[in-house]
Amino acid sequence: MPSNPSMAAAIVGAAESDKIGYIEEGVTNATLHAQAIHNVCDQVGIKIQDIEGVFAPGVASQLAEYLGLQPKFIDTTSVGGCSYQMAVHHALAAINAGIIDIALISHGESGYSARKNQGKGRGGGGGADPWSPGAQYETPYGTSGAPSNYSHAMTRHMHRYGSTKEDFAQIAVTTRDWATLNPRAVMHSRETHPAGGPITVQDVLDSRVISWPLNLLDCCLVTDHGGAVIIASAERARSFKTKPVWIAGAAETQDHSIMTEMRDFSQTSAHISARAAYKMAGMGPSEMELAMLYDSFTITAAITAEMVGLTKLGEGPSLWEGGKAGPGGSGIPVNTNGGGLSFSHSGMYGMMLLAEAYRQLSGTAEDGVHGIPGKQTNAKTAVVNGTGGVLSVTSTLVLVADD
Amino acid sequence: MADYKKPIPDGDPYEAGPYWEGLKQNKFMLPRCVDCNRAHFYPRILCPLCGSRNIEWFEASGEGYLHTFAVQHRAFGGWAEEAPFITAFIDLKEGDRMLTVLRGADPTKPEELMKKIGSLCKVEFEKANDNVTIPFWRIVD
Repeated sequence: MPSNPSMAAAIVGAAESDKIGYIEEGVTNATLHAQAIHNVCDQVGIKIQDIEGVFAPGVASQLAEYLGLQPKFIDTTSVGGCSYQMAVHHALAAINAGIIDIALISHGESGYSARKNQGKGRGGGGGADPWSPGAQYETPYGTSGAPSNYSHAMTRHMHRYGSTKEDFAQIAVTTRDWATLNPRAVMHSRETHPAGGPITVQDVLDSRVISWPLNLLDCCLVTDHGGAVIIASAERARSFKTKPVWIAGAAETQDHSIMTEMRDFSQTSAHISARAAYKMAGMGPSEMELAMLYDSFTITAAITAEMVGLTKLGEGPSLWEGGKAGPGGSGIPVNTNGGGLSFSHSGMYGMMLLAEAYRQLSGTAEDGVHGIPGKQTNAKTAVVNGTGGVLSVTSTLVLVADD
Repeated sequence: MADYKKPIPDGDPYEAGPYWEGLKQNKFMLPRCVDCNRAHFYPRILCPLCGSRNIEWFEASGEGYLHTFAVQHRAFGGWAEEAPFITAFIDLKEGDRMLTVLRGADPTKPEELMKKIGSLCKVEFEKANDNVTIPFWRIVD
């Protein structure tokens, strides 16, 4: 049972950047963060590498990358000046839960210098700041948007493991088969979209090249989408008119923020988050009966299958081979909503993964609106893996049906 | 030079000054940690490998190896006119990796380029305007 977090954690050090106030020679947010973090670690007597959780309003992923960290807990909650007090609250919860022992809360804001530097150096993601690493070291080379980045990982996978474009195309085909059972899927049928309905491997290979080796049908949709879930305490979870689906395991980490910093182009950090989530659940990949794997691109789903232990390294596409992961297939069902490839993908697909995992494990995947006969599986367990950024940040959940 | 239509970076003088200044003189400068003796990219004021703040700059060899690539058929702004073109990640000889647009290879034959992963590449410099020079890489074997 969860314990009262009171007194579960303490603040053990506090420091500032080398200079504060009016730094006439100018400074950036990155430098202010880096100096303060280096200084507080010196004061406390720890290494930067000892930090397990990064709580940095608005910039947690970018900051973790800058520091070379793969944190177990990443919190970038940014709701104004009180965010740092909230970060203490969130760190307390993470420490009380036993997920981390050492948390960093960091702030760096060049309020004065940014005025003189036309706002540059104030950080933020997405390359909006001209002095962000993405804007300086990636934008000049013409990559923009997810496909132009992810394709490099697919090339590396093909080089390293001998996988082929046909192997990846099978993922799109099988995922489309699931979409034909989901009336709300954009690609459900010719009625929902001119290009909807079943597709073949050849259709994928014949679709236009977006960023070689990614063709159009290797890429997710770009849609409008809203979604929400409710989480309740164990005490309350059975008191509603719905069935609970239990959170048996949950974990997160990251590898990088921008593609330049990706350590290994043929793997994501999901092998770390999955291992931690399985450990928390006391279960392993062989006990999973459903997989909801973020499929922004076929390569994303393939690598993720390997990272969460459903296939050996390099054999991700084999999970879908011959429609095994599809309706009525002989293997573990994967992406039963039709995936980001054929159901809906608004940009951040994680909520769609979560909603479908809930429906499958609560036995509500065939309500006529979200699924027709053939979509509901018998799964009682699911691994759900989200991938964010450019194969950057991952979070894995192990969910279990109520019995 | 005047007709350079693609995005021109605005180098951060605080964390990466020597990198951008070096490029203007056709030098490829990298930061290196004095404590663990490892180079890193993108430039920072502390070592992302060991956490030290003891960083020095040195002129790197300008050589590296093709790690992976993609052929961009869809691009925006000035790059749209050049599509298809090849983007690639180069494993720098001194360590770590950077993105570039690869020269010296045919974007219509990606299967051929697959066989050249691991090949030696060299940096070259293109002056985008009086203040900014951008490094590009060329496959040389």
